[in-house]
Amino acid sequence: MTVQGIVLLVLFVAVLAAFGVIVRMLIRSLRLGRPEDRFDRWGSRIWSVIVFVAAQARVLAQWAGLGHFIIFWGFIFITLGTFEHILSMIVPGFGWERLFGTAVAGAISWLQDVLGLLVLGAIVVSLFRRFVLKPLRLRIDDPKAKQEAVLILGLIFVLIVLMFGVKGTAIITGEVDARTAPVSAVAARILAGVGDPHLLGSVLAWIHHLIIFFFLIYIPFSKHIHILGAIPNIFFRNLGPMGTLSRMDFEDETAEKFGASDMRDFTWKQLLDLYACTECGRCQAACPAFLTDKPLSPFRLIHMMRGHFVADRKKLLADAAAVATPIVPASVSEEEIWACTTCGACMQECPPFIEHVNKIVDLRRYLVMTQSRFPSEMQPVFRNMEINYNPWSMGYSTRADWAEGLDVPLASEKKEFDVLYWVGCAGSFDARGQGVARAMVALLKRAGVDFAILGVEEMCCGETARRMGNEYLAQTLIEANIEVLKKYRFNRILTTCPHGLNTFRVEYPRFGYETPAVHHSEFLLELVRGGRLKPAGGSVSGRAAYHDSCYLGRYNGIIAQPRELIAAAGAGEPVEFGRHGRHSFCCGAGGGRMWMEETIGTRINEARVDEALGLGVGTIFTACPFCMTMFEDGLKAKGREEQVTVKDIAEML
Amino acid sequence: MTGDILVVTEIRNGQLKKAAVELVEGARTIAAGTGGAIDALLIGKGAQGEGAKLARHGLRRIAVVDDELTTNYSSEGYAKVVADLVAEGQYGHVLICATAMGRDLAARAVAKADGVMFSDCIELRYEDGACVAKRPVYAGKLYIEIVPSGDRPVFITVRPNNIPPAAETGDSAEIAARPSGLDRSMIRAMVKEIAALAGGRPDVTEADVIVSGGRAMKDAANFKLLEELADLLGGAVGASRAAVDAGFAPQPLQVGQTGKVVNPKLYIAAGISGAIQHLAGMRTSKVIVAINKDPNAPIFEKAHYGIVGDLFEIVPILTEEIKKIM
Repeated sequence: MTVQGIVLLVLFVAVLAAFGVIVRMLIRSLRLGRPEDRFDRWGSRIWSVIVFVAAQARVLAQWAGLGHFIIFWGFIFITLGTFEHILSMIVPGFGWERLFGTAVAGAISWLQDVLGLLVLGAIVVSLFRRFVLKPLRLRIDDPKAKQEAVLILGLIFVLIVLMFGVKGTAIITGEVDARTAPVSAVAARILAGVGDPHLLGSVLAWIHHLIIFFFLIYIPFSKHIHILGAIPNIFFRNLGPMGTLSRMDFEDETAEKFGASDMRDFTWKQLLDLYACTECGRCQAACPAFLTDKPLSPFRLIHMMRGHFVADRKKLLADAAAVATPIVPASVSEEEIWACTTCGACMQECPPFIEHVNKIVDLRRYLVMTQSRFPSEMQPVFRNMEINYNPWSMGYSTRADWAEGLDVPLASEKKEFDVLYWVGCAGSFDARGQGVARAMVALLKRAGVDFAILGVEEMCCGETARRMGNEYLAQTLIEANIEVLKKYRFNRILTTCPHGLNTFRVEYPRFGYETPAVHHSEFLLELVRGGRLKPAGGSVSGRAAYHDSCYLGRYNGIIAQPRELIAAAGAGEPVEFGRHGRHSFCCGAGGGRMWMEETIGTRINEARVDEALGLGVGTIFTACPFCMTMFEDGLKAKGREEQVTVKDIAEML
Repeated sequence: MTGDILVVTEIRNGQLKKAAVELVEGARTIAAGTGGAIDALLIGKGAQGEGAKLARHGLRRIAVVDDELTTNYSSEGYAKVVADLVAEGQYGHVLICATAMGRDLAARAVAKADGVMFSDCIELRYEDGACVAKRPVYAGKLYIEIVPSGDRPVFITVRPNNIPPAAETGDSAEIAARPSGLDRSMIRAMVKEIAALAGGRPDVTEADVIVSGGRAMKDAANFKLLEELADLLGGAVGASRAAVDAGFAPQPLQVGQTGKVVNPKLYIAAGISGAIQHLAGMRTSKVIVAINKDPNAPIFEKAHYGIVGDLFEIVPILTEEIKKIM
């Protein structure tokens, strides 16, 4: 071993040790969070890593992700080579050739060169995209973010060039066969005659390795910590339904606050999300709030929260009794928190599967239940849900008035039946929603379905309260509804509202109520396919478009059924919005936004209506009372309600 | 504490709020039981001239406080005047209206007077030697009845529009001006100026009559039609969200789910479809009159009187006919 080798060894070991200490600190920092069980279903988790890490599935969902694919695999492969080289400097003679023979070593060398060149190309393209094309998703007002990106891209570029340099000098000295390293051969030609190739090679190698050592220490403190955080985050990703929120325990008498106000209130997994973010900004480019100039950007949210966590963890790790800094308003503003429609587009796009929405809801929970700070428009909504079990203050005893004269069977009379038609607040009280409810009842009767409604026993399902952070109110409603539901025997709950569907399918089971729920698009398709319902047809003139509701398509994967239903009803294949299916653009009503004024930026529903008007259709089909309201309002605001009609899919059969 | 009762009234824009007469009726109920006399306090700018309005309602004394430091409401100033008066007169019961000002005043005054507080009451009676007050709790789901114990003065804030106004009994009360007894150092926050919303119309949330316009108004200038009618009826002008969004009316006039919740005696909705978000803001109105071209507009389901027609024809006709009657 040479002196050089010893020095390198010592440095290498020191850096690895330091890296180990840092990783240990990071794991300890995660332990600051509350527990969460993500240790189930190891098979699925390992498969997730194969699909989303190895195959980079989500990254490749947008073609620009090819650059990342190249840099990712290229860099892994090349880094193996780096370690081989370091070891060969410490233990002369060590190398691929010694281990695997000339042929294999030659193949490895060739691959290194090719991948290295591809990585160089990818980096150039990345820099071009970032600084010339300036995509919307990368827009953030923190200059440090840009600086970090440039530093890392630049360093990787330099590393690859140095690699070619080192191999180039090795070709000059004859250690490496030029045929196995075509790109390095070019470097060899350039470096020929630049002093002693052995010395040059050593110098270049040392610079290269020092940069690597720097990287190892720098990465955990930059946004590139995602290298460490992304893979575990994908492993521990949410395998359950997308729209799941944590269930809070209100019986705990030691609880001093409800919801999250500082980093220790989040679970370790929520904290791990912050280490997984690579600041690609795809979430931002899909976010309806960001795209309509609200202060909220999911990219910025995670970025600021990571900064907050990094700043706070030092004192929290040093002293278990230290007071953590509140996240609001230090790093996140209240306006950002309330601007969210919980549409989930951010989570749909995120390659490392960060869960943005549940953090926002946890922050909302604290604001609502501990601080009582929430937009004033929500006060009457909460109060109305408490007194009259609907957000509009309509007397609860009038809940079944819409059904007057329609001879709709009541659960309290029938007691046992096949399907419980959950009418919902909109169906019960909103004039337009009542129209849908009546259409639904007519269809159920025509198809001879054995159904009943709860009538005045029905109460708000609690979804809005939950999304707004008023978990306490939501749980009271959920538990009260379950008491009522348990009185009757039926096989399924049928709803015309995706928010209701999501609540019954995903959230009620956590409270012990397991009866399956079905959306009317699925149910009606079942009836049509089974021949029990023949579409009356002919009620749509001209072309029609279908809007995927967030809670139907993205959250519950019900995308094909409404389209089949529209086609079966004789309205033809619906025209697709540019953003459709799982990538549908929110109508703007979710997350409690339906009940609030939208005073910042442009209106989300009008943005979506503009998209619709661009399709040139005469009818827009929706399958959700919120979306229906938003579209109709948006059309009226633009004065186009004469030209475009909004219909629920139940109204066309 | 004596069996006497003090009624603290509110003066707004130099006018005595009519809820004062309701308080007198409440006071009478208690007086019938305690055998005490009823006094009143009028405080604020213009109190001087308003004393006469209560003079014939069977009161004993009316104290009028109207000087420089009581021109506008101040928590500390008014509360001190009330507490001083209560201490002087040893009133057993003090009635204040549960308005924004009344609630603020009562809270501070009762603490100063070391009394007990019954807030937001809708009914009073006297039974078994004590005043029984009824009030709603849990946002109206239940009513409770409370009685005082001990010997401290009982402050009762009463919700307007619940107790019927007292009738005049003819006898005269003694009206006496009274110095406020305040000096500038006692008041930390002084109201410098009150900027009223354009035109002396009542605030939408307090008005007895509201004439509201929707998107069908087509233009901000057309709201003049509604303003004329509102002025005739002494009411306020309101607007639906659609009208406000379109710029036809300013935001403070918005009635509905995300606007103001109103409870007038008469609500005239011109060109408003009656979507549930609007209804949520006005459905407790005692009488709803709807004018709309569309016979299927949801508002007709909630309206007591509906006119299917063009509001630009109907509203002027309505205005003319009402002019004739008045």
